[in-house]
Amino acid sequence: MLQCGRFMRQPLRFSLQPFLRRTLHTGVSPVLLTRARLLAAEHAKLSSRLADSFDAKIAKRAGELAPSAAILKEWDNANESISELKALLEDPETDAELHTLATEDLETSREALPSLSDRLKKSLIPRHPFADLPCLVEIRPGAGGDEAGLFAYEMMRMYMTLCSRKGLRPTILKQDVEDGPSEDRLLEAVIEVEADGAYDILRTESGVHRVQRVPATETKGRTHTSAVSVMVLPSFPESGSASDNALNFDDPTSDYYIDPQEVRVEKMRAGGAGGQHVNKTESAIRLTHIPTNTVVSMQDERSQHANRRTAWQMLRAKIAEARQEAREQELVQLRRGAMGGVAKMGREIRFSRCTDHRSGITLHNLDDVLAGGDGLESVMESVRTWISDREVEAMVAEELAKAEEQEKKEKKEKGQNKK
Amino acid sequence: MPRIRPSALIKAYRDNPLLPLLLKECRTLGSARNELRWLREHALRTSQTRTRQQPNPTTPLAEWKMHLISMCRQRSRGYPLQYILGDQPFGDLEILCRPGVLIPRPDTESYVVQAAKLVEQMATASERSSTSTDKNDPKPLRILDLCTGTGCITLLLHALLSPRFEHLRVMGIDISSKALSLARKNLDHNLQQGLLTHRASTDIQFHRADVLGFPPGADGGDDADGIPNVEKILSEYFDQPGETEMSEAPLNLEPGCDLLISNPPYISSSDFRNGTTARSVRLFEPKLALVPPLPPQFQQSPNPTPTPTSAMGDVRPEDIFYRRILELSYKLRTKVTVLECGDIKQAERVIEMHNFMAPGQDRFQDPFDVQVWPNNEQDMAFYGFHHNEGSRCVIIQRGVRSSDSK
Repeated sequence: MLQCGRFMRQPLRFSLQPFLRRTLHTGVSPVLLTRARLLAAEHAKLSSRLADSFDAKIAKRAGELAPSAAILKEWDNANESISELKALLEDPETDAELHTLATEDLETSREALPSLSDRLKKSLIPRHPFADLPCLVEIRPGAGGDEAGLFAYEMMRMYMTLCSRKGLRPTILKQDVEDGPSEDRLLEAVIEVEADGAYDILRTESGVHRVQRVPATETKGRTHTSAVSVMVLPSFPESGSASDNALNFDDPTSDYYIDPQEVRVEKMRAGGAGGQHVNKTESAIRLTHIPTNTVVSMQDERSQHANRRTAWQMLRAKIAEARQEAREQELVQLRRGAMGGVAKMGREIRFSRCTDHRSGITLHNLDDVLAGGDGLESVMESVRTWISDREVEAMVAEELAKAEEQEKKEKKEKGQNKK
Repeated sequence: MPRIRPSALIKAYRDNPLLPLLLKECRTLGSARNELRWLREHALRTSQTRTRQQPNPTTPLAEWKMHLISMCRQRSRGYPLQYILGDQPFGDLEILCRPGVLIPRPDTESYVVQAAKLVEQMATASERSSTSTDKNDPKPLRILDLCTGTGCITLLLHALLSPRFEHLRVMGIDISSKALSLARKNLDHNLQQGLLTHRASTDIQFHRADVLGFPPGADGGDDADGIPNVEKILSEYFDQPGETEMSEAPLNLEPGCDLLISNPPYISSSDFRNGTTARSVRLFEPKLALVPPLPPQFQQSPNPTPTPTSAMGDVRPEDIFYRRILELSYKLRTKVTVLECGDIKQAERVIEMHNFMAPGQDRFQDPFDVQVWPNNEQDMAFYGFHHNEGSRCVIIQRGVRSSDSK
């Protein structure tokens, strides 16, 4: 029942959510605007400093801020032109020809504005700390027995084809199949996607994927429901390559540092003679992170060395993801529950339809989705939009909370001053 | 060997009819399953390359299956997996394995990694203590691997140390010409795979020599069967050319050797027969690489060249390589000596031998640091050693604390 653990922890929510919760924000809320202005000011300051002398750190930060600053400028320009045009229209001295031209211009500008403000909002979302990293995709069947294993296998093939089609260089690190004659019932699989930024691309896939169908193994034509959990984990670069990076896991001050003392290593070997006396091919290895009780075992490679390296990579990824999630949870707490975090809700496949309960998208060309085709990509795209919308909402909530606090402080100070 | 329960066999058969065959050798279902997967991948790969060479549309599917079945049968007779698949990963390298040459063991891999770590530590320490003029000195780091076999130790040491040391010379020595040709093949193979840097082809040398052969005396240094004596090779290698080439006291050299590492034959003839040595090893791996030869003529005949160790009396026949290698190590003034041993008892015997043999003046000048490795919980757990069974290695370091005494 081990593989059900994660499944149980993230209870399924039957989606009774509104079909599209995404609301069209036409304007940018004042809190976000102040934030944007702050960022743009910072960008201007940094660029002027860069003009004097180059510094890699400043350049990096400036590069991160550049898009927001540029979009803010565009947005400002658009607003400015709208108000100018309005002024022109209201001016009684404007002649008829100019009047029609101005009306047309105003319309196009107004049409462009919502997409601009949308882009502005998205550019304000802080980048996910793992966004630039390659990733590991862990697939485990949940409830549903054989059928869940079969579906997990299909999902693995699906991600493999998707990643190779997009040139993301996927490799299967681990593929445990169920005992039995067939090879297509998965117990656990891990795919490594080597391309930088793969984490950001596949991040939408984390969650529980449910399937409701008549399985190939069913003889009496009954419908089964089963579930597969997918975890997208960050894959850290080999040590030493990123010395100035905050993600350097060898650095004890890093957030993602794992103390080797806290990891129990088990190479499953019994006693008896060793060395030249025997020639065992056993190369399995198991790591346990004692404080969190995270267990990783690897046995796929013939080389113990390779298994050990992969096991460490997996362990690091799992712990980093858990810590990141805990931090997000803390943020949610800070917002006093005004907003839920990015829920790891799932996707549901029923007979021939694929529905994602997060974005609410439903596709009917299931085969294309399961083959890792464009269908899957459009589902992922919709989820990505959904996630960024949630993040914008969260950001607004956060900024509001900040502003409120600021106000309270000011009031208090005022009160004290009065006294 | 405990009997495999019939129920386990039946369960394995239900999984895959080939599993019971593998279970005979693997003993656990998990490892049998892994081996089956590796064999299947191998069968598929070879059939793919074969069909690419000469397309055979008629039942290519059955062909690989037949191949798989025959491989499983071979394996059930105890034939080593590495000889079937043709290679064994060793560190990051891929070491080719052929019948007649000992297969690299994971234990040895750990010793090599530890040895490389020690050499690096030593270099850091000496860099710190020495003046800057030494840095321009192009004296290479010299490594000697006795009884190299597949060449796995030599090659892995080069892979591990070449990023750190610009000047590196590694020499592998073996008595078996079969082993030497495989070692050279392994060098080429790993160069081709890009697992070794191109420097390796000039930094690494393999030589044929008899490690047990005795110092060059009346017979001119070569054995009767034409195998060169190890000391002759070493004196040529470690001597600067043109300097005291065949002097009275060979190998009494200042430059010396930085690391001497060896995985010599160390199984006693009784352990070879009584079941301590696994069937697969006994039947299919070369006895030459496992059990040291009995030296009857050495013990009985009047010895023309008395060695300094002859006073030591009885050395167990399985330990004779260690005595010889220790002797060479003192002559070469080796900084670090790493010797693989069959178990803790043998390692302790080697240390005893060292305490008896170590030249007195050296001991006074720069004390030796001797240890059996792995000796702490963490290393044992990390490399997967049993706390009191299985192999060990003896590490002898010369003059660890000498830098301040000089």
